[in-house]
Amino acid sequence: MIEFSQVTKRYPGGHEALTGVSLIIEKGELVFLTGHSGAGKSTLLKLIASIERPTSGVLSVSGQNINRLSHRAVPYLRRNIGLIFQDHKLLFDRNVIENVVLPLDIAGLDRRESLKRARAVIDKVGLLNREKAHPVSLSGGEQQRVCIARALVNRPALLLADEPTGNLDAGYAADIMAMFRDFYLVGTTLLIATHDDRAIAALGGRIVHLDHGKVEEVQA
Amino acid sequence: MIGWLRHQKHALGSALRRLRTQPLATLLTALAMGVAISLPSGLYLMLGNLNRLAGGLPAQPEISVFLDAEASAAQKQALATRLKGPDIAEARFAPKEEALAALSMAQDLSDITAGLTENPLPDAWIVRPKASSREDLAKLSDDLAGLPGVAETHVDSQWAERLQAALAIGRTSVWLLSGLFAIALLAISGNAIRAQVLSRRDEILVSRLIGATDRYIRRPFLYLGAVQGLLGGLAAGAVLALAGWMLHKPVAHLASLYGSIFSLLPPTAIEVAAVLGLTTLFGWLGAWISVTRALRQVEASR
Repeated sequence: MIEFSQVTKRYPGGHEALTGVSLIIEKGELVFLTGHSGAGKSTLLKLIASIERPTSGVLSVSGQNINRLSHRAVPYLRRNIGLIFQDHKLLFDRNVIENVVLPLDIAGLDRRESLKRARAVIDKVGLLNREKAHPVSLSGGEQQRVCIARALVNRPALLLADEPTGNLDAGYAADIMAMFRDFYLVGTTLLIATHDDRAIAALGGRIVHLDHGKVEEVQA
Repeated sequence: MIGWLRHQKHALGSALRRLRTQPLATLLTALAMGVAISLPSGLYLMLGNLNRLAGGLPAQPEISVFLDAEASAAQKQALATRLKGPDIAEARFAPKEEALAALSMAQDLSDITAGLTENPLPDAWIVRPKASSREDLAKLSDDLAGLPGVAETHVDSQWAERLQAALAIGRTSVWLLSGLFAIALLAISGNAIRAQVLSRRDEILVSRLIGATDRYIRRPFLYLGAVQGLLGGLAAGAVLALAGWMLHKPVAHLASLYGSIFSLLPPTAIEVAAVLGLTTLFGWLGAWISVTRALRQVEASR
């Protein structure tokens, strides 16, 4: 599903975030990405979603060569990837359901059908009674659930999560991780960047450890 | 196709919502546009009305040739022959009885003419020459004045000609002003949209992350520009309607002093539609230029 082959990412200014990374992630895998902050976890995720481009090496996602992807094709790539951010990136001028329905609006789906699907996803993340609430009035854990609902509503085959539990206390974090396990069980490919060793222990799965931009160890 | 229509509907709805949430900014932008549009369109309307006024006057220049009261029959005959020459398009004899009758028709003068014992007016020819340039007219007029039995000649339509020349300058000015104010319109619309784009930076960035195309992001702003342009056109209509209402009485008064029932004519439906269409187009265009530039900035500053 995802294949890195000798991928290097150097930012303007010379900082090398990833150095010669080679890595294959199969369809339906659950992979944890670990390492210190600054080890290159976020950069790796950004490359997959084509938010950043590799400086050298070849990266392919679902059979598409990301290096050669045209600017116009990027949105269509992203519609097949659910992105979950540490800072949630919700829009604060609209309520929960309007945030969640946004990817379906972008895809141009029928509004009534979209709302039905959004409601189903909001139910799945346990926020059904809060669909009219505004993000400001939600706790950090609830905001993260909205972010997850928004990532899921398009039914993507690939979920990328960057420190999804980074700002949450242990109880919320465990809930979120349990949710991820459910997605894994129904066949979604998951790539989760995290420090949270307890979560990794609870879920199992493959661990890819990054150290200063290099893949240090890969363990099943 | 259905998806495309849904996108349009969605974008229009979102543009209208944005306008509604900022009524004051919307109103001010529409007013600025309205004032800018009302100047050239007002001038255009004024010229149209002046032109209509001038249209009732002889556009073709004419020369009046007044005969000497003591002119002999032979002299009259020679003049009539001369007026059949190749440089004359048409010549009509106006005997002095006709002139007096016309004068008697004018109400205020009928008392005076009634008191006359003999007709003091001269016989005349109304001559329409083939040439229309001022030099040719003056030369012909002088030629005719030099003939025996002719008391005096007069080129009648000089002032109408001058008015036409002035109107031509006015028409050119309308185009010039329209061009300038079209640029102003682009600037006003572009500026308003730019502010909108920058205030929605987060939304744009997030939308991009979850798969929005540039077209999707641009679309509501384009609708916003077009609707804003349309509102500007309507505001211009309101400004002109107000001006027309205020000018109606003074114009009617002035016309009555000239014994005319002239009144200001409003624009035709086609003219109104053209102005509204153009302002909508320019609002859209300003938004397009602005949003394309601003999106590039948002991208660069990510």
